[in-house]
Amino acid sequence: MRRRGAEHVAGLAERIELPASKRQVLQRAVRLEWLTIAFLVTAVAAMYAAAGSSQAMKAAWIEDLLSFLPPIAFLVTNRVRSKEPTVEHPYGFHRSVSIGYLVAATALLLMGSFLVVESGLALAAAERTPIGLVTVFGHTFWAGWLMVAALTYTLVPPVLLGRAKLGPARELHDKVLYADADMNKADWQTAAAGIVGVLGIGIGLWWLDAVAAILIGASVAHDGWRNLRTALGDLMDSRASVHDDWRTVHPAVDGIRDAVMAHGGVAAVQVRVREEGHVFHAEVFVVPGDERIALGELEDIRDAVRAVDWKLHHVVVVPVRTLPVGNLPSP
Amino acid sequence: MSTRLITSVAAALVVVGSSACAAIPADTEGTLERASGGVLRVGMSEHPPWTEVDDGERTGVEVDLIEEFAESIDAELEWQDGGEEHLIEQLHAGSLDVVIGGLTEKSPWMEQAALTRPYVVVTSSSGSPEPHVMASRMGENALLVALERHLEQHEAEVAERVDGARP
Repeated sequence: MRRRGAEHVAGLAERIELPASKRQVLQRAVRLEWLTIAFLVTAVAAMYAAAGSSQAMKAAWIEDLLSFLPPIAFLVTNRVRSKEPTVEHPYGFHRSVSIGYLVAATALLLMGSFLVVESGLALAAAERTPIGLVTVFGHTFWAGWLMVAALTYTLVPPVLLGRAKLGPARELHDKVLYADADMNKADWQTAAAGIVGVLGIGIGLWWLDAVAAILIGASVAHDGWRNLRTALGDLMDSRASVHDDWRTVHPAVDGIRDAVMAHGGVAAVQVRVREEGHVFHAEVFVVPGDERIALGELEDIRDAVRAVDWKLHHVVVVPVRTLPVGNLPSP
Repeated sequence: MSTRLITSVAAALVVVGSSACAAIPADTEGTLERASGGVLRVGMSEHPPWTEVDDGERTGVEVDLIEEFAESIDAELEWQDGGEEHLIEQLHAGSLDVVIGGLTEKSPWMEQAALTRPYVVVTSSSGSPEPHVMASRMGENALLVALERHLEQHEAEVAERVDGARP
């Protein structure tokens, strides 16, 4: 009795989050996010130096501040998510990742919408941006060149950072990281649109700036909307999906069913898997073949389910006489 | 898709840009080209010592600067007098090319006009620094840049004349 009680407590306080191999990936992701924040600070400084505090800069400021949200969301949730479960939070804190994802996705959607609205208004008002001369270290030249240089600087690192995050995002099933990679994409595309816009002004095409920004803004808003829908789905306990497409059921779901059915003495099984941030919570209903199942067998099934994927963190195996129907569609 | 589009547009612009480097920046309405060897339309609101008019005789720091600028691009000057707000409205509508009248960097016309870089800084009556600028039509960046270059060349003499400092 005492022994079993101790096991039970051990099970509750267990905080295995990542297998050893994934822990290194996580460290890399954390480094990438700090690097992103460091880069964003210098990018803000560069843009401020190049464009001053003009009207156009106000828009750029809002974008820059929104870019900070995903990396911050990642670093915050990374500290919270592996905290041990408490009496008040018996399921632990994994969900914080889903909340971080919601924040990151909202930031993306806001940034894209803001770009479209801002540029749309500029286009409608036929605003013609004046760009005059600037003097740097005694050399006087058209300020557009300085802006192009600053934009080029803000373009290259996000390309590299965004690409570097995609691998860890997949391996860690970390959607905050994935949304942040999208934010990096938004950052470099916005910079590219900015370069096109400044060069457009240079050759007298005042509308090109706004048009390029609208195109990019629409693509960013679309990314944001896609991520936001996934984030809301996760918080609504939708079925587990792969990290970058909510329509594709995560292979672990079928994996669990196969693993359980491979176990002798199980007549039928129903699996519910939901995502709690970067880990999964699975409820497995099993109908024993001859209406009897031993505790040891249930434990074996649990272990088999856990072995399917490292993300299968909370696994509940429930023996039932008939499968629950409820609102579950047939598999 | 938009990524590829942006990249190709950027590449095209770089090609166009580098082959016509001297023509960057260009005016959206070709004002500088039109005024060169033609007519430069200047709005002026009186504001001594920058702009003064007496019996049709125009004097003042900015009048001299504009006259020299017009000469440098071989342009005739077509003057129009009026209040600042009215002139800026006309500038925005495109019936004027440049507006002068002791405007400063803190001018509220930022949205309607392209202000030049300050060409001189004087001390205002309240003791705060007052950087002086001229206004040109929005989007006419070739004109803006040409005017700014002209003002930059005269910074020293203007500073001496009005007892101000170079910006």
